[in-house]
Amino acid sequence: MSEPVVEIVGLSKRFRAGVLAVDDLTFSVDHGQVCGLLGPNGAGKTTCLRMLLGLIRPTGGETRLFGEKVRPSSPQLRRLGALIETAAFVPHLSGLRNLRLWWEAGGDQWSDADLEQALAIADLGDAIDRKVKTYSQGMRQRLGLARVLLGRPEILVLDEPTNGLDPGEMREVRQLVRRVAEAGSTVLFSSHVLAEVEQICTHAVVMDKGKLVAMGSVEELIGSSGSVYLEVDDVVAARRVLEALPSVRRVDDEAPGLAVAIDGGRRSELVVALVQAGIAVETVTARRRLEEAFLGLVEGF
Amino acid sequence: MLTIALLRTELVKNLRRTRTYVAYGILMIIPVIMTVAIHLNPPDGHGEGRLLFLASQTGLILPAFALRVTSAFLLVIVVALFGGDAIAGEAAWGNLRYMLMRPIARGRLVFAKFVVAVFCAWLAVVIVVTTGLVVGTIVFGADPIGAPLSLLTGAQSNGDLLAHLGVASAYVAWNLTGVVAFSFMVSCMTDAPFGAIFAGVGLYFTSLILDAISSLGGIRYIFPTHYFDTWVDLVTRGQWHTDMWRGIALQLAYVLLFAFVGLWWFKRKDILS
Repeated sequence: MSEPVVEIVGLSKRFRAGVLAVDDLTFSVDHGQVCGLLGPNGAGKTTCLRMLLGLIRPTGGETRLFGEKVRPSSPQLRRLGALIETAAFVPHLSGLRNLRLWWEAGGDQWSDADLEQALAIADLGDAIDRKVKTYSQGMRQRLGLARVLLGRPEILVLDEPTNGLDPGEMREVRQLVRRVAEAGSTVLFSSHVLAEVEQICTHAVVMDKGKLVAMGSVEELIGSSGSVYLEVDDVVAARRVLEALPSVRRVDDEAPGLAVAIDGGRRSELVVALVQAGIAVETVTARRRLEEAFLGLVEGF
Repeated sequence: MLTIALLRTELVKNLRRTRTYVAYGILMIIPVIMTVAIHLNPPDGHGEGRLLFLASQTGLILPAFALRVTSAFLLVIVVALFGGDAIAGEAAWGNLRYMLMRPIARGRLVFAKFVVAVFCAWLAVVIVVTTGLVVGTIVFGADPIGAPLSLLTGAQSNGDLLAHLGVASAYVAWNLTGVVAFSFMVSCMTDAPFGAIFAGVGLYFTSLILDAISSLGGIRYIFPTHYFDTWVDLVTRGQWHTDMWRGIALQLAYVLLFAFVGLWWFKRKDILS
C-alpha cells in the first residue's frame, strides 16, 4: 500500500488569544482520493489547511506531504496547488501579469508553466490583460484556480473554491476538480456545500470544534442508516408499527406522510412490517444524504 | 537566481503602481514650485537661512535646499509608505499567503521586499535632487560659489558642489533608510499597511520632538533623527561634519536592528491574512 500523500498527525493549534482552533486532529489522504473536509464555521478547517501549507505553525503535532514534514516554505509545496478562502492577487496588475509574477517569484521559468490549461480554466478572454481590481469575484476565483494549476500539481488543496461563483461557475469548478482527480491528482476539498462534496468527493473528514468527528468514504459516512419518507393509507397505524421496530430511531409527521429516522436497519424492513400490519404503502423515498449524515454527526458530537 | 527573481517581482509590483508615480510626481513638483517661488521672490540674505540664500544664487545649491525641505516631512511620508506597505500591503490584498505557498523562504521574501523598499525610497531622494538640479540650473544657472559669497561660505567649484550634493543626497537617503526599516519592521508584524506607514512617520516626529528637549541630555544622541541635518554644512561651507559619521553609524545600528526584528518576527508569524 502506498504512503498517504497528506498526513495530519495529532495536529493542534492554540492561538495567542487562547482559542484552540484545532485539537489533536489526525487523518490522512491517500493518492488519488478526492477528500472533502467538512465542518461548521469555526470547526478549524481553514486553520488545518493553513498548517498543511506551512502558513501557520502548529502548537502540537505535525503535517506531512509525501511523507515529509511540512515547514514554512517546504520544498514539497512545489508539488501542491492551493486556493485558500478567496483568490487574492496584486490588484493593480493584470491577470496575466499576476500569474507570471507569482510563477516566476518561485524561481521557475515562465515557459515551464502550464499556461494553456490555466488560461482555459480562467476563461477570461481579453480580460486576462485587464487589471485584477476590475474583476468580479467569480473572475478572481477562476483566475485563482488557473494559478493553482499552473504547476500541474499532484495535490490540490481547495478551501471553499466555489465561494462567490454563480451556479454555472460552481458546476465548472466541480467538473474541473473531477477532471484533475481523474488525471491522477489528489484533492483535499473543503466546502460548506455538502451536496457539492457528495457529488465530487470519494472520501470525507468531518470536523467540529477543532476535533475529528468522523472520517471515511462518503458512502460509509452516509452509511446504511438514514431517513425514509413514507406515504401510507393509515398514518396513525403506521406510526404505531414503525415506532415498535428496533431500528427506528424517530418518526416525524411530514404531511401527507411520515419521515422515519433509522439506525442500521434496512428500508425494506419498514415496508415489510407495514404490509404485514395491513397498511398499504404508496411511496417509499430514501432521504438520507450527506447533509443529514453531517448534521447527525456534528449534533451528536 | 531565486532572489533575483523575487527582487524583479517585487520591483514590478512597486513600479507598476499608480501610487508610486503619484508619490514621485509630488516629489518632482515640490522643487519646481520652490524654484519658481524663489525666483519670483528672492531672499535678501538677511534673517533667512544660508541654504535658502545660496539656493537663489546657483542652481547647484537649489537641490540641496529642496532636499532639506522635503526631508523634513514629505520624503519621510513617502519612504515610510514604501517600507510600511511592503509586507502589510501584500497581506491586506490577501496575496501574501499565495506568495508563501510558492514556496518562497520567508527570509528571502523579507530580504527582497526590504531591498526594493529601500531602492524606491532612495529613488525618491534622487528624484528630488535631480529635479532640483535640472530646474535650478535652468532658472539660476550653474555658477560655482566664488567671491564675494565665498567669503562667507568658502569657495566651491562646480565639481565640489556636485560632489558635495551627491554625498549629501546619499547621507539623507541613508538617514531615511532608518525610517524605511522601522516602517518595514512594523509591516512584518501587522496586516494593516497604514498602521505601519504611520508608525514610521510617528517614529520620525516623536524623535524630532524629543530631540528638541535639551533637558533630556545625552540620550538625545541616540535618537534616530539627531544627526539628520548635519549634512547642510557640507553643501553650504564645503565642510564634512564629524557628526555625519555618527549619523551614519547610528542609522546603521537602527537599520540592522529594525530589519533583524522584522525578519525574526515574520519568520515566526502565522499567516492569517
